[in-house]
Amino acid sequence: MSMAVTQTPKTTKTSSRVLRYVGFVAMPLLVVVWSLVDLSLGKELVEWIPYLASGFSMNILITLCAVTLGTTAGVLLGLMQLAPFWFVRLPAQIYVQIFRNAPALVLIFATTYIFPFEIVLFGNYLPFPDWVKAVIGLAILSSAYIAEITRGAVLSIPTTQWEATKGLGFSRLQALRYVILPQCVRRSLPPWMNVASSMAMGTSLASLVGVHELMHAATDASTAVRRLDFTIIAYVVVMAAFFTLCYPIARLTRRLEQRFNAG
Amino acid sequence: MQDMNLTGLFIDLMGRLGLNYEFLATGYEAQIWRDGFITTLYLVAVTIPVSLIVGLIFAACLTSGRLWLSAPVRGFVELTRNTPTLVQLMFSFLVLNTVVSNMVGGAQNNPLSPFFWVVAVVGLHVAALHAEAIRGGIEAVPSSMIEAARGMGFSQFEILRYVQIPLAFRSSLPAIVNGLISLVKSTTVGNAIAVSEITYASIMVWTQRDNVVEMMIVLLAFFSLINFVVARVGSWVERRLAIPGYGL
Repeated sequence: MSMAVTQTPKTTKTSSRVLRYVGFVAMPLLVVVWSLVDLSLGKELVEWIPYLASGFSMNILITLCAVTLGTTAGVLLGLMQLAPFWFVRLPAQIYVQIFRNAPALVLIFATTYIFPFEIVLFGNYLPFPDWVKAVIGLAILSSAYIAEITRGAVLSIPTTQWEATKGLGFSRLQALRYVILPQCVRRSLPPWMNVASSMAMGTSLASLVGVHELMHAATDASTAVRRLDFTIIAYVVVMAAFFTLCYPIARLTRRLEQRFNAG
Repeated sequence: MQDMNLTGLFIDLMGRLGLNYEFLATGYEAQIWRDGFITTLYLVAVTIPVSLIVGLIFAACLTSGRLWLSAPVRGFVELTRNTPTLVQLMFSFLVLNTVVSNMVGGAQNNPLSPFFWVVAVVGLHVAALHAEAIRGGIEAVPSSMIEAARGMGFSQFEILRYVQIPLAFRSSLPAIVNGLISLVKSTTVGNAIAVSEITYASIMVWTQRDNVVEMMIVLLAFFSLINFVVARVGSWVERRLAIPGYGL
């Protein structure tokens, strides 16, 4: 009995350590092994890989744009929520409350159907592509999450620090800029990475409004080839792509969390 | 009659604000829309218990210390957390569903509906989130308490059932409520496989009426309301279960 007890944490640790490393390569390895076992399938897959890759580059583009836009807006909104004036605070609070509770899919549909397909700028017709609309939809969602993260991070700094900056003659904005925010960056990094990774996964929803991204490409490919095993492997490739993108982020997030909790 | 008047009044009032809710006066579209609300609520009501029960089982496996139990669950949890729910749903619906159809001899014999697949995929996805939360709670239970339970002659399962889970559930409740809120939001992916939940129903209406803004207002309000209720129930349960002096 006592043997079992002492062994329990150890076995869990080794198993999770092994799995941790297996996780990085397991999915791509599965795809490669399977295409080597069934060469006709492998050949078909190799033909479609460039098409799938072009789809995935769209996912990455949407993620980068949405996270950049969302972070900028989110930090501003988070600070607005803490402003001493109600007419600054209230709009930000309402925005965050509404969009934090909204499903990503609903926001993507909203931006896709509400915005026009082209904009008239000084008499020039500029196209307004669907992927930009998806970026805006995801940016709205991530800005609401990031506003909450920013607000929480600022509030988590002890009030004594504010008092100390006041004693040193800092203005409120200077204190925020030089003392509070640098500490917030550290604290909000792990949750921010969670948001970034969930935005990366959210980009697959853009396929439902016709953006040519990985999920869309996989559906195209499987309709063109019409083989059940190809359909399976196409979706396994999709999962593998997202997994190899998001799993390292998740691992790093957990590492950072542990380090900050310990420190 | 009373109801008709109220609907008419509402449409008229919103019309003056520049919002087009005229479809409410028609029988067919209003029916689809009402069914959409009911389907979403039904979906949420079915998926929440599924996610909680499976999450608990997953957490028990993860903390069991037996490799053959924890390793597959750990793998599944990582897979489902790091791939989009939509991809999982499409994979399940296009691949697993086809496999099941082939096994039972044709799609007409397949008892599994798109609704089932949404419940299964979203339920398991959120169960993985719950499992991580509950696992954290179980590991936070002081070892002295487990030793005390073992000293009183509790078996491994009894310790889990009577000591670890009651405490872990309390400390992981905020994280579980967060998981449930993302569950409510995730049910919208059902429209990818034509489950007629509220987003799907709204699309049906706005393709006919071109009133996207109006439908969006209702959708956002509806999801805010469900999530508000879920959060409220969560904090009520938290208060009800609080153990005075234990700090949970």
